[in-house]
Amino acid sequence: MLSLWLPRFATDRIRRLREATQEGLPLVVAGKRGNADVLIAIDDAAEQLGLSAGMALAQARAMHPALDVVPEDAHADDELLEAIADWCLRYTPLVACDAPDGLLLDISGCAHLYGGERELVADLGRRLTQAGFAYRLAIAGTIGAAWAAAHDGRPDAYANGEERDLLAPLPLGALRLPPPVVASLGRVGLKTIGDIIDLPRSPLTARFGGELLRQLDRALGREHEPLTPRLPVAPYVAEKRFHEPIAREEDVLGTVEKLAARLATALERRGDGARRIELTLFRTDGALRRIAAGTARPLRDAADMRALFAERLATLADELDPGFGFDMARLSVLIAEPAPAEQIGMGSANDAGEMVRLIDRLSARLGAQRVRCAVAQDSHIPEIAAITLPAQMTVKDDGWAAYNRHRSAVELAPRPLRLLSRPEPVEAIAEVPDGPPLRFKWRRALHDIVAAEGPERIEGAWWQEENIEASPAGNRARDYFRVEDKSGHRFWLFRAGLYRDLVPGGTPPSWFVHGMFG
Amino acid sequence: MMLDALRQQLTHLQKPAGLAEGPVMLPLGVTAVDDALGGGVLRGALHEIAAAGEAHLPAATGFTLGLAALATSNKHLVWIAEDMALTESGVPYGAGLKAFGLSPERFVIVAVAHRHELMAAMEEALRCRAVGAVLGEVRDGALDAVAVRRLSLAAGDSGALAFLLRAQPPHDASTAATRWTVQTAPSVIPGQREFGGPRFAVHLTRNRRGPSASWILEWRNPDDGFVLAAHAEPVAAPLRHRSHQKVA
Repeated sequence: MLSLWLPRFATDRIRRLREATQEGLPLVVAGKRGNADVLIAIDDAAEQLGLSAGMALAQARAMHPALDVVPEDAHADDELLEAIADWCLRYTPLVACDAPDGLLLDISGCAHLYGGERELVADLGRRLTQAGFAYRLAIAGTIGAAWAAAHDGRPDAYANGEERDLLAPLPLGALRLPPPVVASLGRVGLKTIGDIIDLPRSPLTARFGGELLRQLDRALGREHEPLTPRLPVAPYVAEKRFHEPIAREEDVLGTVEKLAARLATALERRGDGARRIELTLFRTDGALRRIAAGTARPLRDAADMRALFAERLATLADELDPGFGFDMARLSVLIAEPAPAEQIGMGSANDAGEMVRLIDRLSARLGAQRVRCAVAQDSHIPEIAAITLPAQMTVKDDGWAAYNRHRSAVELAPRPLRLLSRPEPVEAIAEVPDGPPLRFKWRRALHDIVAAEGPERIEGAWWQEENIEASPAGNRARDYFRVEDKSGHRFWLFRAGLYRDLVPGGTPPSWFVHGMFG
Repeated sequence: MMLDALRQQLTHLQKPAGLAEGPVMLPLGVTAVDDALGGGVLRGALHEIAAAGEAHLPAATGFTLGLAALATSNKHLVWIAEDMALTESGVPYGAGLKAFGLSPERFVIVAVAHRHELMAAMEEALRCRAVGAVLGEVRDGALDAVAVRRLSLAAGDSGALAFLLRAQPPHDASTAATRWTVQTAPSVIPGQREFGGPRFAVHLTRNRRGPSASWILEWRNPDDGFVLAAHAEPVAAPLRHRSHQKVA
């Protein structure tokens, strides 16, 4: 477990944004705490002047009028911390933010990729220094011990089992306790962790609360403390580092294929296929590019994965922006699903497989929401009965089998070829109130009706109140008519509301056009 | 007779790669139309179908789907449309597709924001072996001639049917094998108030393999397909017989 602390985080952030102006002035960040303006963060120069975080701004100004005071920007701090956390993904996928100014990295099993813990730490430190951050970091067996060592102890790499020796001399604040608890412990003369480590447990708990011993147990490794990574951990990951940064699209795609081949082996071993794949490209300057692609069916083939990312890269060619190049690439399977073996041989002349690939390619290029399949729903309301869903989402049973059975059992009036996404109101005149219209006006054209079929009564979904707002026709019962006008245009019209239900003062029935027949 | 046989031979000699298997022509079952087309709708080629005006678009859609059904008995139909077309003219309704002999299970609809995306997506879909017909719906404006030519070539490679469905009759030149203008025609016999099947007044305005002509066709049902509507008069006189274009 690696704990990274950026003790001058806020001031370093501001310095990074500035050119080397206002060189001499000590920099402090001030913000409101309660009703008072206090110092939130200070830099080295300010500390040497005797200032400290938490001091009132007025007092600091009185002591040293020549201060460079910058207002606090917690949002920018958070954003930068997130960006650094993203950047740390190059070391391990398990990165957690330790707000406001630290990070926790689970590097177990990852350090050897850099040649060992010391090399990893050296690499991390070098890059942080280059970026202009002061840092302290420590490695230990538990989160608590690493944190304590980074903040209050001697930053180093400690082995498992050294927690006790490491913690004993440190002040109690290093246990990440609430300040009131530390203060009340101090009042009874307990200053260091060593003071409480062997004390009887029950009196401690009774007097200072359960949090104290829990934090102690966690730091000592007696109790497990889980790390909550910022990003969900991908079940399959393959990554590659480059000595020379790469920038060309072909190189990126070549890398994708190599990584995909490694993923394919791992996926095959567990009988899985990828449903969502993410490519993370680490730019040399620390920026990150994440490109994700979804698939319609579990996918294992490296060439197919490459084709998928070729489509994605083609759509964002300008946004890829390699800068000075990428020095690391990681391909992760975000969502994996069991894939039966027969689906894998997509190279064979298998029409279903071909279709799936086409859907994947189009979805990658245009967006999954734009490539859709028609599905049948169990509803009597026309606009709900047949809707479209993203083709990558639809499952085998899209409801048409059930729909066909239903249609053959019940003689239903024909359905239009094209349906307007929202019924459009029309002005219509009917001979008798409940009959079909004689003529209607839609989109500024007048249609004289020569024939009409209907009505087909479709009751509203009276059990769903929210539908009333969702559709302009409201939730009323509808009488559908198939009509043909003089020149042969065929429409699907309906009257929302029934005259028999009309109450004085209520909304009178109104006419809508909902679709067109071929 | 002799000429017909030679024509058939020529057709077979000029087969594009995608037509190696299966029939070259998909007959509509209406003798008059099939004769004019030289046997039926040419597979592996681009066909342009335009509505006579915005209001006739549903009819043009129906006619196009009737043709597409010829090639999609066990293959997919991919319908690619610009966002605007779907908002203005309505989205294809799964339950209504069945009336034209298409199965909604093998139907994919793709919405695109730009014309160039539409062309690229059509080309991509045409190259897929599982696709029997690709329908691209464009509203108005000129098409990129190069992109249209690429569509023709892609269709030739795969043997699929490619359709461009346009809301207005186009004025540009085209490399399409056929070009049609479709108007809706009354299905109701004057004086009666009963529905017949959907009727289309179709004008074959460009035909690389024969003369141009006009018919009124009626779509009966998925089994019977199109029939020549007997009682109606042609809405326009057939265009001049262009014998020089008769040979493909």
